Amino acid sequence: MGVDIADIVPAKQIKLEELKGRTIAIDAFNAIYQFLAIIRQPDGTPLRDSKGRTTSHLSGLMYRNANLLQMGIKPVYVFDGEPPKLKSETIAARSAVRREAEKEWKKALAAGDLEKARIKASQSSRLNKEMVDQSKELLSLLGIPCIQAPGEGEAQASNMTRKRDVWAAASQDFDSLLFGADRLVRNLTISGRRRGRGGGPAIPELVLLDSALEALEVTREQLVDMAMLVGTDFNEGVRGIGPKRALQMIKKHGDIETVCEKEGFDVENVQRVRDIFLEPLVSVDYSLERSEPDEDGTVAYLRDGFDFSEERVRKALRKMGEGRSLMRQKSLDQWF
Amino acid sequence: MFSAKAKSEVLREVVDVISTLVDEAKLNLNKDGLSVKAVDPAHVAMLDLSVGKDAFEEYSADDQEMGVDMDKFKEVLKLAKAGDIISMDYDEEKNRLIMSVGNITRRMALVDTAGMSDPKAPNLNLPVKVTVRAEELRQGIRASESVSDHVALICSPDGFEMTSEGDTDSVNLKLPKDLLESLDCKETVRSLFPLDYFSNMVKAASSAGSITMFLGTDYPVKMEFTISDEKGEVHYLLAPRIESE
Repeated sequence: MGVDIADIVPAKQIKLEELKGRTIAIDAFNAIYQFLAIIRQPDGTPLRDSKGRTTSHLSGLMYRNANLLQMGIKPVYVFDGEPPKLKSETIAARSAVRREAEKEWKKALAAGDLEKARIKASQSSRLNKEMVDQSKELLSLLGIPCIQAPGEGEAQASNMTRKRDVWAAASQDFDSLLFGADRLVRNLTISGRRRGRGGGPAIPELVLLDSALEALEVTREQLVDMAMLVGTDFNEGVRGIGPKRALQMIKKHGDIETVCEKEGFDVENVQRVRDIFLEPLVSVDYSLERSEPDEDGTVAYLRDGFDFSEERVRKALRKMGEGRSLMRQKSLDQWF
Repeated sequence: MFSAKAKSEVLREVVDVISTLVDEAKLNLNKDGLSVKAVDPAHVAMLDLSVGKDAFEEYSADDQEMGVDMDKFKEVLKLAKAGDIISMDYDEEKNRLIMSVGNITRRMALVDTAGMSDPKAPNLNLPVKVTVRAEELRQGIRASESVSDHVALICSPDGFEMTSEGDTDSVNLKLPKDLLESLDCKETVRSLFPLDYFSNMVKAASSAGSITMFLGTDYPVKMEFTISDEKGEVHYLLAPRIESE
């Protein structure tokens, strides 16, 4: 998902502690997909309640936010709105992948191949409207702000970093950089069991747009052009061109139009895709106000609605309480 | 080029002042001495330290930067008794700092300074200046630590106060004007601070007789004191907490 430029963008590993007191705009769909993919039983079955409904997303949101809030980090969840029209092909391709993965998951299960079953199951993760509504309901019980983006959630989160309303955007996708996020935090919402870059448990990393552009020696416009050559959620890219070659070509020729002209490539909808990244549809009408968690409401929602253990939910709520004092600490940044 | 000899207690003070905020630091060296500017990872506090060459037994250096892991420095210091002389020489070829204490030599790999910028201190308008004996502050902190994790620093034309409110108990240190070293205050100001940071900063002023604080309301506190027989100057800046509703 998103543009694949992980190998060429410099990222700095950070400790979660360094985010203490910071407000982070989390790409909600991205995070929830991760929970659905990761929080599963060994054979790949997602967590379910007694009515057979998936609860992996609620479990992830509850316990991961408990960790973040305990450390004094202030999450804000940004939900996708209407996807740009150009994304429809990507979306269709993704559902095809999911359907195929689901078939293979069942096959692997029947064959007793648990490892394959787990992998295929996680690729088959689906996020439906019900889950989105449940996620929003839980976040609002926890007093965590939810922001509805008119278009792409990442575009909205990135724009909020540019306005300095939040300190960073959090997503696994590098698209946030194309959308202009000053700071991008990766691996924020996933547990240590997923493999990060080069193996090992996922460690949070911070990517600074300015440092990335400086290291690659391109402008943000050129970074977008480069991404289009490789392929984004909104265009196919040129077959056989990876990030490194795309970068070379953009540096050599300046922009994608010239690259296409000189190299004989054909990239569709260049200006429309560019506009999606550089002039994204965003809302300026949102509230970042957080409130105290409704503890009894949260317990009732998760215990009565989805068979969560009251004890575990209460424990997570206590963790959130511990962070409340940390959140009152200001950083020196506002005086610089 | 860098070559110096210093008493272990002098280095210990320098290391304490730095490691209060960061695990790794960039030492800026020049012929007159060394300086360090650093911000802690959470951006809650800032340090501006300068140590003149007179603080050392011997000192010579060209303009250069040296990235140091403070834990390694502490390991070497643990080998020394008060009064021991520690010598330091920069090995340019291998980018290492060679430290010797007694018959032991430690060759210390330095850390990359590429990502370490020199933060610039913000220009703050802090209306109040108060100088307090360090011992009074230390005692106030000891009392506060048993009831809360934060402390309010309050100054009025009549004196200086430190107040900590816990869930059930509270602690108050009151120093009227005549018990202060100096006071320049026309209005009452009050800011709340994290006790752990404040405590570590005051502890780092172990040999300082007094600490000068610049204060405002809901503003950072700037602390100034000297170390190494007044040959080192420390400026700390600490961000406030939001007062609870």
